[in-house]
Amino acid sequence: MPEGKSEITTETALNPVDYAVISQGLIAAAREMGAKLIRSAYSTIVREAADASAALLDREGNVVAQAELIPMQLGPMADTFRACAELYPVDELQEGDFYINNDPFSGGQHLQDVFIYSPIFVGGEIIGFAGTVAHHLDLGGGNPGLTTEAADVHAEGFLFPPSKYNLYRDWRGGPLERLVSANIRVPAQTIGDFNAQFAANAIGGERVAQLCEKYGLKTIQSVMNQLMDYSERRFRAALSELPEGTYYGEDAIDDDGITEEPLVVKAALTIEKGEITVDFEGTCAQVTRNLNCPYTSTISATLSAIKSVLTSPDIPFNEGVKRPITISAPKGSLLNPNYPAPVRARMEAGYRCFNAVMKALAQIVPDRVISGGNDTTTVTAISHLGDEGYRVYLEVFGGGYGASAHKDGCDAVDAPLSNCANTPIEATDMDFSHFRIIGYGLLPDSCGHGKYRGGLGFYRSYEILKDGVNFAIYADRFRLSPYGLFGGSDGQVARCEIKRGDEVIQVKSKDGMDLKKGDILTLYTAGGAGYGKADERDPEAIRHDVKHGYLSREMAEKSYGVAV
Amino acid sequence: MRVGVEVGGTFTDLVAIGKDGVRVTKVPSVPKRPDEGAFNALVASELDISAIEDLAHGSTVATNAVLERKGFPTAFVTTQGFRDILALQRHNRNSIYDLEYQKPAPVVARLDSFEVDERVLSSGEVERQLDEEAVLRELVPRLKDGNYEAVAVCLLNSYVNPSHEEKLRELIKQQLPDLHVTLSSEVTREFREFERASTAAISAYVQPVIDRYIGRFEDRLQEHGFRGRFSVMQSNGGRLPAEAMRQSAVTALLSGPAAGVMGATRQAGRSGYKNLITLDIGGTSTDVCVVTEGKPELTSEFHIDGLPIRIPVIDINTVGAGGGSIVWIDEGGMLRVGPHSAGADPGPACYGRGGQQPTITDAHLIRQTMRPEAFLGGRMNIDVEAARRVFESIAQHFNMSLEEAADSAIQLANANIVRAIQLISTERGKDPRDYVMVPYGGAGPLHAAQVAKDLGIETIVVPPNAGVMSAYGLIASNFVQFESLTRRAVVDQNAGDLVRETFKFMKERALERFEGMGLNSNLRLDFIADMRFVGQAFEVPVSLTEDQIVNLDTAEIRRLFGKAHQKIYFFGEGSEKPIEFVSFRLGTTAELDDLPVLSETPDYRVDEGDIELFDQRKMHKGKLLSRSSLTPERTLKGPLLLEDPTSTLFVPEGWDARSDDQHNLVLERSE
Repeated sequence: MPEGKSEITTETALNPVDYAVISQGLIAAAREMGAKLIRSAYSTIVREAADASAALLDREGNVVAQAELIPMQLGPMADTFRACAELYPVDELQEGDFYINNDPFSGGQHLQDVFIYSPIFVGGEIIGFAGTVAHHLDLGGGNPGLTTEAADVHAEGFLFPPSKYNLYRDWRGGPLERLVSANIRVPAQTIGDFNAQFAANAIGGERVAQLCEKYGLKTIQSVMNQLMDYSERRFRAALSELPEGTYYGEDAIDDDGITEEPLVVKAALTIEKGEITVDFEGTCAQVTRNLNCPYTSTISATLSAIKSVLTSPDIPFNEGVKRPITISAPKGSLLNPNYPAPVRARMEAGYRCFNAVMKALAQIVPDRVISGGNDTTTVTAISHLGDEGYRVYLEVFGGGYGASAHKDGCDAVDAPLSNCANTPIEATDMDFSHFRIIGYGLLPDSCGHGKYRGGLGFYRSYEILKDGVNFAIYADRFRLSPYGLFGGSDGQVARCEIKRGDEVIQVKSKDGMDLKKGDILTLYTAGGAGYGKADERDPEAIRHDVKHGYLSREMAEKSYGVAV
Repeated sequence: MRVGVEVGGTFTDLVAIGKDGVRVTKVPSVPKRPDEGAFNALVASELDISAIEDLAHGSTVATNAVLERKGFPTAFVTTQGFRDILALQRHNRNSIYDLEYQKPAPVVARLDSFEVDERVLSSGEVERQLDEEAVLRELVPRLKDGNYEAVAVCLLNSYVNPSHEEKLRELIKQQLPDLHVTLSSEVTREFREFERASTAAISAYVQPVIDRYIGRFEDRLQEHGFRGRFSVMQSNGGRLPAEAMRQSAVTALLSGPAAGVMGATRQAGRSGYKNLITLDIGGTSTDVCVVTEGKPELTSEFHIDGLPIRIPVIDINTVGAGGGSIVWIDEGGMLRVGPHSAGADPGPACYGRGGQQPTITDAHLIRQTMRPEAFLGGRMNIDVEAARRVFESIAQHFNMSLEEAADSAIQLANANIVRAIQLISTERGKDPRDYVMVPYGGAGPLHAAQVAKDLGIETIVVPPNAGVMSAYGLIASNFVQFESLTRRAVVDQNAGDLVRETFKFMKERALERFEGMGLNSNLRLDFIADMRFVGQAFEVPVSLTEDQIVNLDTAEIRRLFGKAHQKIYFFGEGSEKPIEFVSFRLGTTAELDDLPVLSETPDYRVDEGDIELFDQRKMHKGKLLSRSSLTPERTLKGPLLLEDPTSTLFVPEGWDARSDDQHNLVLERSE
């Protein structure tokens, strides 16, 4: 690449070795922050499920390097930062100061994801910021962990507007820590998780300072800039190969949890002069329940789809990747809601952005997209107030991945915008006495079929051990199935049910209820859709699936016309 | 005579040390039959097998069985409702933007996974009794019909109460006495069912492989009149008598790099160096490890082919940077080295076997930090022009000379290695400046000085015969076994007693086991408490010596934990939050009575004289010498190239080199 050459060698006279070494050092520092945040955290949602992310930012708040953990959390790092910096200028920050923000209408996503940024001082000067975000188990709100019926954002929990505080003065036993502790249900775990964020920020700061000490402040700043240019350059190189034009895609959320009306998301993706524009004009209006998707979440989901399809996984994701992309969504729509819309379940609309963009891209690069998968965040909260205080269990599930032009979709894995691990059964046994997990397994036949089949969904079953247990869920793909591409068939939809004695109660995808001792709650997640025509599938693959119990004999016969 | 035979991917190395000195042999490996290669080495060395007293062996047989999924039919049994644990894994992805992500394939298929009706709680209380009748009626016939060689059992919460796992084994063994049964509670006592199940499954999977391999090996040894002690290397850095190894197959995985670390530790230890960072650079990758006070750091978190194994192993970090690593420019214009490698075939361009991409080895030839005559002691034809040709496009891209381009590639490879070392030192709270570097492997001594300088390391200790360090490590290793016990308890006023009681219990068991193996002299015990703040999920290891344990009290435990936590996570020291024990580990070591001595090969000579080489962006004048010509009295200044039959040592400007009385070469920073 000719541009590459000129920027590296002439603009700053940085040699290619220093450049490569320092940029790898920055990425490694971000990765270390993420790893240590998770390992020193307290709640199962952070320490087991790893619902947290970390990044290094430059002085202006551009993300330079990130720990590749949760795609959805990484997109808005710069936006949440800038909302703080506008109110509290970077120049005025002191040692120990930090920015904090979870406001969905000021760059944040949902309240549970709290973003914290600590300035990195080198020789009295701020060179950049270490930032972390963690999903907090409970931040107050109407119900422990999750309030399905919240009418507005305030019913969903504690809101930190973009602000500046000081770690030594306001946290560590100070007034902010006391204020937060008093307004949440499981402070021991939540405050522990906040502390893990502060510690991770300190580690990031320390590593950047060490790099500055070795290579000099100016060099590090120059590399930060170049690293963004580098990602931009690689992304533009990929873009330049695509045919110009406008392509359309749409998908929908099942319903808003009250009516049965699908919530439609429409994307028009334009490639022109080496840039991409995505416009969500035509998407439905914002809704009264928590499915609204804050604008930064819309951006984050769209970027993830574009990055996954059009760039190789080794391009560092940073502000540079965003430069050739413009995204817009009408104000007041599902994808850019007005205050005070509730937004807790914004992931579902985020996934439909991802799907709509994926369908548009399928027309341009059919061999690089995947079919519809479970593509849903299924959040279950099972909580109880007993003698030992509140116990809140929160877990996030994926399902089957969509198939591609080359491979079957991955079975039973978190969906593309997220990347949470499951909580080990032995960890839930240790931490919770109000329920017990009694089954966790693959769902044979739940995938869609085709030349390549989708990934299987899975089930998870809970026995409720106490009366007065509160259950809340948000999920999707209970009615509209994951879509097949190029002749592949759709995946099976998800469902959730409660067995109470002889009675079976069907739970809706956005629901909440009280559970009784002896209830058996079972969640079935959706399977991914197939890609390509079923008659092109390798018969050996069909036999293998039947032999191992991924596919029943009947289904093999029905979907592939193959008797095994 | 003591003999170490290490089977690697390409070569099988043998080191024999006896009264008449050191003998080193290198023969090609036989990948399909590792024992064949091992015996070829024994034959080629012309040793009298009946005169071998101590034969230590390291082999890739277990590792390959897992990597190629070529073990024997293995079944998996778990608690009802959880048959799919091995397939489900942890539900996350290790590459977040990869749309075609696939999970690593488990070693036991879904078809071979079974359930039993039982449930034990996290307190250890039995919630549902094991349905023994159903086991006999349903499970046993299926295990029989499946023609399995081994079965792994992992029941929920067995790490607290293994009684159901033990009962199950008893029932299976009664009916099917020839079936290998591996209990998860015996291979690792840690919570998290997937990781424990994975450990048990892999352990069961390699059990018949190791068992047969050792059996076959022993038979052949007997045929040749072998009467000595036969032992096998483990990934924890110790060996075990072959007989005991047949019960402990999983510890044989990835033992090769561990043997190298032990060899380096022993040889550097002879010169009094105890705090080391080992650097093993081979053809495709680099292995690095931190050794503190003569003990390599251990970890319980390691993976083979993406599958977790939770047993203590030497904490070796591997990075894809070796002699064959390919140098390239990505589409964003960044210079890159590895992780792809030209391997042994076609190999670097300079091998003249059709390699068209520039590699690190080619770069050394261009910089003249390696001479074409130095490859395999001059027994290999090297095409320097081919090396220069493939570097042209890199040089043009950056407007550089060929030498500058080659130098840049090597600096970048060094930087990748530096990062790999920081990951296991700085990130774990250890300062590399407190350590000396010990390079080995074919290319370790070529890169050591620059890597050391970047880490602030002042001293480098280069062992003799650095190219066969793993084979030496086999006979230089102690006998080691680890045991762990989960005993979760909040640290209160009785904490000292709890530690003493647990230590006593574990110690008695360990002593009994070692007695059984005929290893009862010179025993050393390493006791570690895995601790955390109440509510955390990952533990911090706190080492306790026998002396410390005698008078241990609550305040001292809190102090030691706080210090350990602070080092890694930047907080925790002085904290008054509740802390807890999660598990305890005891490492038992039977130390060797006397250490075999590795020495120089004195008859190896090169044409000494003046040379020119390119390093750090400029040309230097230097000297070429035989390594064995250095003496303790003669300190030489870099730049130097020192050659021995197995490797080239590059001493750059700014470093002094001398030999010491233990045949180690010592490099020190002079500026």
